[in-house]
Amino acid sequence: MSSIQPSKKSVSLQYYTLRYLIVALLVIIAVWAGLFYAVILDEVYDNIDDGLKNSKILIEREAYAHPELFNTPEFGINQFKIQPLPKGTYDFSDKFTSTFEFMEYDDDDEPIRLLETVFNDPQGNPYKLTIRASMVEEDELLEDLLTALVALYIMLVISIALLNRYILRKVWKSFYELLGNLKSYKLGTGRNFTAPDSPVSEFKVLGNELEDLLKRSEAIYSSQKQFIENASHELQTPLAISLNKLELFAENNNLPDEQMMEIGKVSDTLNRLVRLNKSLLLLSKIENRQYADEDAVNFNTLITQLAEDFEDLAEFREIKINVVAQGDLSFNMNKGLALTLVTNLLKNALVHNHAGGVVNIVINQNSLSVQNTGANAPLDERKVFDRFYRSSTNEQSTGLGLSIVWSIANSYKLAVNYSFNGNHAFTITFPTKK
Amino acid sequence: MKILIVEDEQGLREVIRESLEKEKYIVETAHDYITGLEKIGSYDYDCILIDIMLPNGSGLNLVRELKQLQKKEAVIIISAKDSVDDKVEGLDLGADDYLAKPFHLAELHARIKSAIRRKSHDGDTFVTLENIKLSPELRSVTVNGTDLTLNRKEFDLLYYFMINPNRLVNKTALAESVWGDYIDQADNLDFVYSQIKNLRKKMKDAGAEADIQAVYGMGYKLTTS
Repeated sequence: MSSIQPSKKSVSLQYYTLRYLIVALLVIIAVWAGLFYAVILDEVYDNIDDGLKNSKILIEREAYAHPELFNTPEFGINQFKIQPLPKGTYDFSDKFTSTFEFMEYDDDDEPIRLLETVFNDPQGNPYKLTIRASMVEEDELLEDLLTALVALYIMLVISIALLNRYILRKVWKSFYELLGNLKSYKLGTGRNFTAPDSPVSEFKVLGNELEDLLKRSEAIYSSQKQFIENASHELQTPLAISLNKLELFAENNNLPDEQMMEIGKVSDTLNRLVRLNKSLLLLSKIENRQYADEDAVNFNTLITQLAEDFEDLAEFREIKINVVAQGDLSFNMNKGLALTLVTNLLKNALVHNHAGGVVNIVINQNSLSVQNTGANAPLDERKVFDRFYRSSTNEQSTGLGLSIVWSIANSYKLAVNYSFNGNHAFTITFPTKK
Repeated sequence: MKILIVEDEQGLREVIRESLEKEKYIVETAHDYITGLEKIGSYDYDCILIDIMLPNGSGLNLVRELKQLQKKEAVIIISAKDSVDDKVEGLDLGADDYLAKPFHLAELHARIKSAIRRKSHDGDTFVTLENIKLSPELRSVTVNGTDLTLNRKEFDLLYYFMINPNRLVNKTALAESVWGDYIDQADNLDFVYSQIKNLRKKMKDAGAEADIQAVYGMGYKLTTS
C-alpha cells in the first residue's frame, strides 16, 4: 500500500560523493599547501643563506686583501657593512635573521635576509660583518605559489566533479538499471525480475542475489496464494455435500417446526461458510490475475441497474438509494469484476446502515463514490480494507467485501479511499482520459 | 427422463441421485472418466451432469466426445473449480450450462429443467402445474386460462417454484436465483418474504390450485392443493 519514498534530505550518489570530496580536497590541499610552503620557504632561505655564506667568504678574503674595506660602516652600494667591535670574546658563528627594510625602489618595506657574523682582521681586532640580501623575488614566488595552489584546487574540484559525473554514470549505470528494474517490479504479477548484466562484480553479485531473493519470495507468494485457492477448491465439494444432504433431509422428514428451525440455522451457517469460501476464492483469483478479458464498462448503466436490483432489499431495510450522475464514467476492465466492485460497495453501504438511512452513489467523469449513513464514528482507515476486519460483529458480513473492492481496484491501479464526514464515503478514482 | 451423473465424489453423487429420483427421473451414475465414456457411448440420456475433475480424465473431454458422437443430450458441467476459462471452454464445447459447486438442489433442478426444455423442439415451452400455466419465453402466466399480472420479481419467484413443485426451496437458493448472486451476504433474507406475500395474495385471488408455504428456518414450498 505504501511505497518507499526517498527521505527529504537524500541526494544522488553523485552529489553525495562530490560534497565530501570538495571538503576533503580542501583540507588535503590546505595541509599539503602548508607543508609545501614550509619546504619551499626552507629551501628558499637555504638558498639565500648559502649565497650569504658565499658572500661572507668573498668579503672576508677581499677585506684581507684590501684593508680599507674594514671601513664600511653602512650599507652603501655594497650589500654589507663592517663595524669594529670592542675587544672581547665573541661567538664567531653565522646568525641569520629575516627582517624588513625600507626600499627606495618601490617605496615600501621589503623583506630581507640578514647574515650577522664576527671576524678578526689580520691584527686580531674583532669586526661585526652584516650582509643582507633582498627576498623580494622569493616573496613573490610564494605569492605565486599560493595563487597556483588555489587555481589547482579549483581545477581539481571541477575536473573531479566532471570525472565523478562521467565515471559514476558509467560505473553505476548497471546499478541504476537494477534500481529501475526493482522499482517496476511487483510481487505476484508473474513478471520475473531480471538483474541487468554488470561489469562490476559487486553489482553482479547484488543483482544475482536480488534475483534469487525475489525468485524465492515469488515462489513463497505463489505457493501461499495457491494454497488458499486449493484449500477453497477442496472445501467446495464437502460443503456441497453437507448443504445438499441437509436440504434433502429437511425435505424428506416431516420434522416439527422447532427442529426445522435448528436445521435452518445449520443451513444458514453452512451458507455463510460457502460465501466466505467463495469470497476467498474470488480474492485469490483477482490476485492471480485470472480475469483477463477487458471491455469498456459504463458505470452509469451498471450502477443504475444494480441500484434497481438492490431496491427490494433497500426498501425492506428502509434505506433510500440515490444515484447522482455528475458525469459519464466508463473504464476498460473485466465486466464481472466491475460488477463485483460496485456490488460490494453497495452491499457494504446497505449492510452497515440503519433504518431510515441513505446511500448516495455519486458518479463523476473519473470517480465513483458510495456514501452511506451508519455508525456515527469514523472507521480505522488503515484497517478498513484489511481481510476480516470488522467494525462491528455483524454475522452476515464476511469481512471480505471491502478487501475484494481493494483488490479489484489495486489490480487496475485505481485509487480507493475511505473518508468520514458524518457519512462514510468510499471513493474510487479512475485515471483521467487522455 | 433419463439423467446421467458423472461425479467422482460418492457423497455428492448419492445426494444428487436421491434428489433427482424424487423428481421421477431415472438416474444413472458414473464415478470416473472411463465409466462415464462407456455409458455415454452405450445409452442415450436426456441430460448429463459432468464434473470437470475426474479420475483418469477431464470432464471437458467427455463433453468433447459427446459432440463427436453427435449426441443431442443436454449437458450441464458441475465443477468445484469456478473458473472463467473452464466455463468458457465448456460452453464452447457444447455444454448447455455451468454450475459451480456448491449449489442448492433447487438450483440444480431449475438448471436441468431449463436445459432439457431448450433442447426439446416439440414446441411445448410451457411449464404447467395444476391450473397454472407459465411461459418462460413470453414471461406470462395464466391461471385457469386467465392472465395473471406479475411484476418481474414475482414472475421469477413463481417460475422457480413451478420447476421445483412440492419441494423445499432454500431461501438462499431462491434469493440468489431471483435477485442475483450479489444478494448472498446481504441480510437475513427476510425481504424475500414480503415479495412472496404479494405473490401468494395474487395467486389466491386468481384461484390458483397451488400455494406457497413457509418452512420454518429453511425456506418455502409450493404445494398443490
